[in-house]
Formats: sequence, C-alpha cells, structure tokens
Amino acid sequence: MTATDEAPVAAPGAMATCVFAVRRGGPSGGLTGVRGHAAGGHVGLLPLPGGLWAVAQDVPAELFSQEALRARLSDPEQLEDCARAHHAVVTAAAADGPVVPLALATLFTDAERARATLDEQQPRFLAALDRLTGRTEWAVKVHVRHRGGNGTEGPAAPGPAASTSGRAYLSRVRGREKDRRARQDAALDAARQVHEAAAGFAVASVRRRPHGTEITGRGRVQVLNAAYLVDDARADRLVAAVRAMTGAFAGVDAHAEVSGPWVPYSFAEVADAGSVADGGIG
Amino acid sequence: MTQMDLVPPVDYSLVPSTANLAEILERVLDKGIVIAGDIKIDLLDIELLTIRLRLFISSVETAKKAGIDWWETDPALSSRAAERALALENRELKDRVAELEQGAARPSRRRVEERP
Repeated sequence: MTATDEAPVAAPGAMATCVFAVRRGGPSGGLTGVRGHAAGGHVGLLPLPGGLWAVAQDVPAELFSQEALRARLSDPEQLEDCARAHHAVVTAAAADGPVVPLALATLFTDAERARATLDEQQPRFLAALDRLTGRTEWAVKVHVRHRGGNGTEGPAAPGPAASTSGRAYLSRVRGREKDRRARQDAALDAARQVHEAAAGFAVASVRRRPHGTEITGRGRVQVLNAAYLVDDARADRLVAAVRAMTGAFAGVDAHAEVSGPWVPYSFAEVADAGSVADGGIG
Repeated sequence: MTQMDLVPPVDYSLVPSTANLAEILERVLDKGIVIAGDIKIDLLDIELLTIRLRLFISSVETAKKAGIDWWETDPALSSRAAERALALENRELKDRVAELEQGAARPSRRRVEERP
C-alpha cells in the first residue's frame, strides 16, 4: 500500500513517526495548515488496512528519543507546547469525522512500524470508533466560593475579643467544625446535583480529581471535575441544563461550568457508563 | 435527507484555543488509547509527575483549609495522594541534594580562583 501525498515523508535515520489519532476518513481538508510538533514534518495520513487512517507526523528522532522526551516533557513550557500541539492535531483531524485519539507521544521508528503496530490493534480502533461516532465529550466543573477562604472564619466564629476560657475555646472549635461540615455537605450536594443532571444526558461519564487552586484561583475550590460522553443531538440540552443550575444551590455559592465539545479522549477506552475515574490525573 | 442534515457537524474550533492547560493535560496524558510504540515513554514518569503534582495535588491542602476535603476520605484517592506526595517529597529532596552537592563543589573552585 502506498502512502498518499498527505503521508509523512520518510527520512530514514533522522526521523521518527509520531501518531496522534486513528480515523476512518482518508485525506481531506481538515489537516491543512496544522503544524503538529515543532521541528516536525508535514502532518498527514498513513493508510492502514481495513479502511482506517493514522494521523501522523515525521519528527526529528533526536528530539523524540526516550531520554530527550523525558527531559523535554519535564520542562513545563515544553510539556505545554507538546500537549497543545498534540491536542491541536487531534482536534483538527476530528473536524472531518470521528477519531480515536492516542495518548501524547505515541512514537515509532518509522511509518512502516507505525502501520504494522497500529494494524495489530485494529479491533480496538473499530470498537472505539463505533462507540464514539456521533458523540462528543463535554467537561463539567463545579466551583465553590468561600467567604473568608481559609476556613477559620465563619458565622460561628466569635467576636474579636473572644473569651480565652477552655469551654469557650471548645465551643468555638465545635462551631467551626459544624460550619465546616455544613459547607462540605452543601458543596458535595451541589456537585452531586450537577453531576446527576449532566449524566442524565450522557451515555457515559467519568469523575476526576478536582484541579488545585493554582488553576482555579484562590478562594475558589473545585468540587466537581467530570467528563460526559454525549450524543450530538443531546449536547445542547446538557449544556443548557448545567448552565441553568449555577447559583441555584442552597447554603453554598456554587457555579457550574461546561466546556466542549472535546474530542472524546476520556472515552477512547471502554469504560462502563457512570464509572468513576480513579483520580489518575496526578 | 442525510445524517448531516439532522445533526450539524461538530465544531471543535473553540476548544483548542480556550482550554486551559490542566484540561488538555488530563486528557492527552491520561486518556486516549495507549499503544506501545517503539519509543516508550512512561507518561507517569516521576519528572512529569512532579509537574502534575504541582497542578493538582496541592489542592488537597488548600481545599482542606477551605473545609472541603472529602476526597481525602476516599481510600482510592487518599492512598494515591499519599504515594504521590511521597514521590514529590523524594524528588524535591533529591533536587536539594544535587543542588547542595553542586554548591559544595563551586565555592571550592571559587576559593582557588580568589587566591592571588
């Protein structure tokens, strides 16, 4: 089988083949102008047996060796560049039809090796394509804002000239603990309500460990970080349902956000509907 | 009437430009189909993990202070959290040792140079 004119040009020795995704659709306009990894060649398509195509790019082997990658991906800026480049290619490839995204840095010594290895996985790709066709991933997050922000202040906290007696201290501690629990319950409840509403429109869902305040901002705590696999026809309803819930929670200042559509990365591997992620985001 | 008439093609164009890095990382590093390529890089590699710990795990302390620490009581999450926290601490200690070793080597050179 010969490569199309969109296929990466093999340059023996110096280049490795990076694969981003697998799809059914052959050459089309979606990948035009997509750069892929910096210093790499043309982003193109490798024909695979069974009517599948791999979205691939030739990349300089010395930048994509095990050691080079480990060093480069340990650098926050280079990690970001690589992640965004990968994501941009996967997203562009999906403009023409469903794709199965591969994990970052799926690399082969050359196009032939890529083709042979990917072909061995054909049943996996076909099953994933069947599952993902006509569906996209939507991300839903719930953030809670706190007065005081550090949990040591709250309605039960006494005035500034608080008594220093042991009994007053204990009562203060108990009051704080009670407030803390009430806030926690209200936040959990908000997260659960949003998750249930979103899951009602989805065929599958995953819950992940929430992001830290480096990302969310101080005083804004993430209590739900979830993704949903949704039929295209129901996506609008999921978005509307989640957006309608913001600010509608008792006892807590909670906001629900929805982002998407994402290429369904989170559902590329088979998972039972409603399965809870293991928090594997690190 | 084709399927395309019923369901408009999906427009992904907004997500790459607006998505925050954490959202992209948690997908491209942890999700997608994992194929063993010729050049193997473990994305859970300790160095990478360090960056990811900074993005995510520090939330536990902060969230705890804010009164939301429910995931700590989740055994699956808390054991992983403990492992990772330990890995981070280990890594940082190694970095410190390396720094100190370099630091110890450098002043001695300087001392030599400073001699008339």
